[in-house]
Amino acid sequence: MKSMRFWLLVGATLLFLMPLVHSQSLLNASIQMLIAALFACAFNLLCGQGGMLSFGHAAYFGVGTFATLHAMKAMGGVGLLPTPLMPLAGAVAGLAFGIIAGWFATKRSGTYFAMITLALAELLHALAPHLKSLFGGESGVSTMRMPAWGISFGNSTQLYYLTLVWVLTSLGLLYLFTHTPLGRLTFGLRENSHRLRFLGYDVHHLRVLIFAISAMFSGIAGGLQAVCNESANYVVFESHLSALVVLNAYIGGVSVFLGPALGAALMTFFGYAVSDLSRSWLLYQGALFVVVMMFLPTGLTGLISSWNESKAQYGLVRLLPVAILWLVAVLLLAVSSVFLVEFLQRMFSQDYRALALANPAVPWPAITLFGRPWFPGGATTWLTPILIFFAGCWMVRLAKDRWQALLDDADVDASLSEATGNGVKS
Amino acid sequence: MEYFIVSLLNGAIYGLLLFMVSAGLTLIFGMMGVLNFAHASFYMLGAYFAYTLTPLIGFGMAMIGAPLLVGVVGVVVERFFLRRVHSYGHAHELLLTFGLSFIIAELVKLFFGNFPIDYRIPASLDFAAFRIGGADYPFYRLIMGGVAIGMFALIFLLLTRTRVGIVVRSAIYKPRMAEALGHNVPLVFMGVFGVGAALAGLAGAVAGAFYTTNPNMALELGVMVFVVVVVGGLGSLGGAMIASLLIGMITSLCVGIDKSLADLFSLLGMGDWAQGIGGLLTLKLSSLASTIPFALMLLVLLVRPSGLMGEKEYL
Amino acid sequence: MSASKFIRTVVVACTALLLGNVTSAAPLKVAVIEALSGPQASTGLSFRNATRYAIDRLNTAGGWNGEKIELIEYDNQGGPTGAADKLKAAIADGAQFIVSGSSSAVGGQLTDDIRKYNIRNPGKEVVLLNLGAEANELTGEKCHFHNFRFSSNAQIRIKALVGAMKKDGVIGSRVYSINQNYSWGQDTENAIVEYASVGGYKVVEKTLHDVNKIQDFSPYVSKIVAANVDTVITGNWSNDLLLLMKATKASGLKARFGTTFLDQPGNLANAGDAATGHYIAHLFNAEAGGKEGEQFAEDYKAKTGRYPAFIEGQAVQGILMFGEALKAVKPQGNNLNVNVWALELENTKFKTPMGELRMRAADHQALVPVVVSVVSNDAKYKVDGTALGFKPIMVLTGDQAATPVPAACKMQRPT
Repeated sequence: MKSMRFWLLVGATLLFLMPLVHSQSLLNASIQMLIAALFACAFNLLCGQGGMLSFGHAAYFGVGTFATLHAMKAMGGVGLLPTPLMPLAGAVAGLAFGIIAGWFATKRSGTYFAMITLALAELLHALAPHLKSLFGGESGVSTMRMPAWGISFGNSTQLYYLTLVWVLTSLGLLYLFTHTPLGRLTFGLRENSHRLRFLGYDVHHLRVLIFAISAMFSGIAGGLQAVCNESANYVVFESHLSALVVLNAYIGGVSVFLGPALGAALMTFFGYAVSDLSRSWLLYQGALFVVVMMFLPTGLTGLISSWNESKAQYGLVRLLPVAILWLVAVLLLAVSSVFLVEFLQRMFSQDYRALALANPAVPWPAITLFGRPWFPGGATTWLTPILIFFAGCWMVRLAKDRWQALLDDADVDASLSEATGNGVKS
Repeated sequence: MEYFIVSLLNGAIYGLLLFMVSAGLTLIFGMMGVLNFAHASFYMLGAYFAYTLTPLIGFGMAMIGAPLLVGVVGVVVERFFLRRVHSYGHAHELLLTFGLSFIIAELVKLFFGNFPIDYRIPASLDFAAFRIGGADYPFYRLIMGGVAIGMFALIFLLLTRTRVGIVVRSAIYKPRMAEALGHNVPLVFMGVFGVGAALAGLAGAVAGAFYTTNPNMALELGVMVFVVVVVGGLGSLGGAMIASLLIGMITSLCVGIDKSLADLFSLLGMGDWAQGIGGLLTLKLSSLASTIPFALMLLVLLVRPSGLMGEKEYL
Repeated sequence: MSASKFIRTVVVACTALLLGNVTSAAPLKVAVIEALSGPQASTGLSFRNATRYAIDRLNTAGGWNGEKIELIEYDNQGGPTGAADKLKAAIADGAQFIVSGSSSAVGGQLTDDIRKYNIRNPGKEVVLLNLGAEANELTGEKCHFHNFRFSSNAQIRIKALVGAMKKDGVIGSRVYSINQNYSWGQDTENAIVEYASVGGYKVVEKTLHDVNKIQDFSPYVSKIVAANVDTVITGNWSNDLLLLMKATKASGLKARFGTTFLDQPGNLANAGDAATGHYIAHLFNAEAGGKEGEQFAEDYKAKTGRYPAFIEGQAVQGILMFGEALKAVKPQGNNLNVNVWALELENTKFKTPMGELRMRAADHQALVPVVVSVVSNDAKYKVDGTALGFKPIMVLTGDQAATPVPAACKMQRPT
């Protein structure tokens, strides 16, 4: 645990020092990453720790956002609270709405619980455009941040530090919560709620409390977004956002506390980095989801922990070749898929089709990709990705064999040492 | 009066369309316990496949070919994707189908473009069946309704009267026992998934010509189908039929009602008070037409979560 | 070299690299923030393509200050939140002009965010070039000095549409208004009611429906049939218009349609021959532009592979007008002062194939010429691969089409 605390301290320090080395656009991305990380961890309180998969969590995030926006607009634009304390409005709204919604939702469990939360979120999403006074219709509610405590909050760096402080505090509180008796009971709820009932606890009340706390922290995340963006419209209630937070949590790994934060940060960054590079970035995002769900069921933190375990068991020297083989294999597969997708996207795009029709002499003009022209009719164009793909598959095979060999060697060693150990004993 | 009849008819046919897509979904859920987010994507694929096949083999053959292709896609999805994550739990399966829906939508956009495509009813079927309320009633709508009813009848007979149907139903109800008795349950799962997908594909092929065919079809229909499945009862075909008809007709009839809760209050003499409060009370039913199914879903979930005709849950 | 010194050197080198880009004199940067992926991508991509074409034309003519104008594209992922994020990214990348147009919600978000940024960063102002978001509030209560709308708004479109349809004698006396239930749809509905006396009709019934959620418009068509009207006027776009047209065709409804967005690609293909005789008020029709219009259309086709459709014509003219005002602006220490440009734009008279385009100083709403066209087999430019096209029947100049300055606009001008 000492090394864990050390790494956490290093991580926190790095986060504080970030604005000094990073560009403005990366700073803006970091603010979004932090907010997404907090939202994912708040969601995980309910899902990973409490065992209640909620499919409508965007509702509490959105409620927090709008409550904070209204608090910012209150008293003629001056605001109900000083700007740094604004997310508290989101917390209160999230808590209140969470208690009400949670009371209904937690009456059922399992799949029905998930569907009730989805129904609530969809109902809110469908009603929101009509409730103009609360949600402002298409253009939403917009307001302006007021300076407070001598800071103007006019530029990204100040917003970054504000968000960082709130997120770190909230994450700390969430972590401390898991060590309280109620937090421990949350795990119990996930493991065996029947037994808890037999032990005399009122399971429904417990569930409502957990739900409300999770909604409260989601409301804080929403409030932070309200402070940073200064406006929002009903789109924040979309089911897409609810599903995204579930995905972020599972990609990071729901069994580790910081797993969802990691998953959310990575996926948000992925969206930022790739959305302007490629038109098909949603395809890559979907493919990433599917690949992680299929091959990394415990998420990225699961991958990290299994790496640590293997390192401890087999030693870095023997593990490294296998890891490198896997890395190269994944890289080759990724490169070939990206090439194919980008090429097909350009080939089937309207611009290209029009260009092809415009000049009958050249029916299939070349498409420039990665700085080189590729002809749709040419063999190299198709052979390149296919060959790379097969190379990747072959590498996967190699990596698997190597890994199996490693396991076998370790087994042999273990049984040998056991045998010699038994033999020497006399 | 005529307006009422037309609304009812339209609502029934829209409901039958919803049924075609949700039938597969409810069977798959009853069987595997996983809510397939990609099901509406199968609907979309059916429309796009039919659009591609029609110039090649004609509209009628495309109506058969497109569902077959979508069925194949469904089988592939089940065999190579879902089966792998089955052991990780329901959440993983759900999220996998969510990711797949993304991928399918993006692939469709990649190959066919972002705009709606020109998938139309063939001229031979594009005429009016009869005239009611001063407007024509298109014959194609009746075809859509007929296909849906025919499909329901076929599946119902298949499930209840044939040997295959008995095996499927037992695999849905008690998969382990059916496996122990020697039936190839994984094959049954694959088959049901494929047939469910093919049904959705058929719905897409038939309806895509009448409504628009665009890459957002899946999103537009997806949520409504989910509502139908929940209200009808997970795993119940009859429930899906009743729920889809109910939702179709409610949505259709509400469009014509320009009253709001405030008007109801005015019957009791509190109209001005209700108008003054505004907000929810002054919303007209006609503008809420597509919101009401969600309220219905919430009500059903709270009062009778197993749906109108689902199995009773002991909790 | 010790480890810490090495790390310090690396950090300093990285910082220098990152900061270095900012300090050197950069060319003029224009950012287009549009929906380039996701459900609304079709319109976003049209705006992006039109902007690209126009900036290329400006660069071929010399760019600004001897350098090419740099166009950077940002994907707002279809919503105001994405737009807000990308605006920050664009400003961080040095853009001084932001181009957008496909969504009034996004336009509202961008204009508010830009106004707040300009207040907080005097001397580094950023300008919004709105090429197509037509909700009234954008030059009404949300107007500010650094926001310019180069397209029309609900009032302008309906006034032109109604006037032309009356002149052709087709509007009749009973009109049905069906619109989407959000800012643009509500503005259109209000305009339809406002111009009832001008058009000589009575608005028999008004309907507002959910935006892009309804699959089956037949209940609405039944209502229209029951109302027994001569004309239906609608501001619907995308699926809502398409499905309305389809349902109308299926029911055999004989009313005439007056629309604002019928020229969106896919509409005529799906509506088929039933669309013949419907009217549209739009901002660009190559056929109405005579020789210049034809030249422009052919040049656009040569560069992009298609004739300009839907909003592309108006978007190109807006950017070209932006470039026209740029010509007269001298650099201040190698940089562009956007206030000088803005004042120059207010005095610019730009000649487009549709007529003269001017920018009204009071609310920064362009005095843009409007074309009213009818769907017909005789049109010169066929659309969507069908035999139909939009035949212009009336062109209103910017002044004729203009509507009064909204009282809600209280613009503060820089001193």
